Amino acid sequence: MEQFFDTYFDFSLMAEYFGQVLEGFWWTIKLSVLGGILALTWGLILAVLRQLPGRAMAPVRFLTIAYIDALRGIPMLLTLLLIYGGLGTLQASGTIPKWIGVPEFFGYPSAFWYGIMALTLTYGAYMAEVYRAGIEAVPRGQMEASRSLGMSHGQAMRFVIVPQAVRKVIPPLLNDFIALMKDTSLISVISMPEVVQVGNDIYSTTCNPSALTLGALLFLIVTIPLARLVDWQIKKQDEKFQRGIP
Amino acid sequence: MSEAILSVSGLKKSYGKLNVLKDINCEIAQGEVVCVIGPSGSGKSTLLRCLNMLELPDGGRIELNGNEVFGHGKPKDLDVLRREVGMVFQSFNLFPHMSARENVTIAQTRVRGRSKQEADARSVEQLEKVGLAEKIDEFPDRLSGGQQQRVALARALAMDPEVMLFDEVTSALDPELVKGVLDVMRGLADGGMTMVVVTHEMNFAREVADRVIFMDQGFIVEQGKPDAVLGNPQEDRTKQFLGLVLSR
Ligand SMILES: Nc1ncnc2c1ncn2[C@@H]1O[C@H](COP(=O)(O)OP(=O)(O)OP(=O)(O)O)[C@@H](O)[C@H]1O
Ligand SMILES: [Mg+2]
Repeated sequence: MEQFFDTYFDFSLMAEYFGQVLEGFWWTIKLSVLGGILALTWGLILAVLRQLPGRAMAPVRFLTIAYIDALRGIPMLLTLLLIYGGLGTLQASGTIPKWIGVPEFFGYPSAFWYGIMALTLTYGAYMAEVYRAGIEAVPRGQMEASRSLGMSHGQAMRFVIVPQAVRKVIPPLLNDFIALMKDTSLISVISMPEVVQVGNDIYSTTCNPSALTLGALLFLIVTIPLARLVDWQIKKQDEKFQRGIP
Repeated sequence: MSEAILSVSGLKKSYGKLNVLKDINCEIAQGEVVCVIGPSGSGKSTLLRCLNMLELPDGGRIELNGNEVFGHGKPKDLDVLRREVGMVFQSFNLFPHMSARENVTIAQTRVRGRSKQEADARSVEQLEKVGLAEKIDEFPDRLSGGQQQRVALARALAMDPEVMLFDEVTSALDPELVKGVLDVMRGLADGGMTMVVVTHEMNFAREVADRVIFMDQGFIVEQGKPDAVLGNPQEDRTKQFLGLVLSR
């Protein structure tokens, strides 16, 4: 038992490397927040494109569905490696400009931006499906009432359908955000010094995984309250439902 | 009779193999109140929904004020049509994330292009007219069914439509709430609004309608003054239907 504690909970080691691990976690947070915001936005755009009415919009719907299916069907790690491997190569051969090939906005490393792209593309597809479920859960009569008042499809979506859908999808979107946050650890494979990468480096030099334990604890400090928030939101909605919202 | 505001000829609509509207011809005059009755599944809702193109007809012609809004299988000037034709539904369909006042205001500003103040003043006035002065800032989930339906009425009326369509607007209401809604509709009819009313309220049809249309199996079977159609029907199917309804 003591052996176990010394292996995973070596407090002196944790104290020694606390600053470094925290720095890594700060990258994790930045990746999660920016990736999360962009994925939320991109997902909503995809969901709206997917719902465009009329025959003229059929190609748009088809392409959107194909995109969503593809990105949900590929492991994010693979998407990340394809972006990382492809963009750098294309930039080196002069096919695409540097700002996209090797992006370094705000002085952040290009691995950060490749990671943001992979998170946005992949989780945008997941979140598009969540939004879609939300949009489809809004009763048909809402669209009919809006259109019968003379609103266009776009106006009805913007003022009536999406605001209601967004309320319903907050819990599942938070769940996706938790998953996204954990998946930022994949970006370590392209040398992004986020918390898992930092912890693993410390493990390599000290032969003790306590820095990784510290990283795990930092994750839990954020994800457990988020999980509670999801439950609380769901409960709140159930209560509303029981009061009989049409 | 004054000029036709809505004129429908040869209207057809089917869902797959089910022919719901087979050949509908009718004219609605300015200021006329037409009640549409008929058995369940006869196509009454489908007719109303075709009149403002919530469903696209398969054939026939619809004219609004002499302008073709549907013909040769295509809708035309959909925006004009929907702006000029208001509709109230059996299930109210209020926007649950907006107060009564916002429900009535939103389309005025976004569709009619009224200023916020102008639209808001109009909303308050319209909600007062339907007897909801105290409920202006309530959300739909805090209103009774009858109150919700009156908000829906106010919402449609605030757009100043030329024609109002009503689809069994009292069917989802408890009996004691029906009167409030029907009273508002009576007031509208007295004020000269052109109305097409699908209803099971035979007394309302008898008192308020200028004309009653009896539909069955996708056709208009019989139409005429309420006294004639309801009091002295000519067709067997009408007699049979009225026999069932009035004996209840
Ligand atoms: N969207 C739809 N898809 C398929 N069939 C439909 C659809 N809407 C209506 N129908 C069918 O069309 C027929 C006519 O329906 P409609 O709603 O117009 O009848 P109604 O006269 O309004 O009846 P009720 O008095 O019960 O409201 C019914 O058989 C119905 O099942
Ligand atoms: Mg009906």
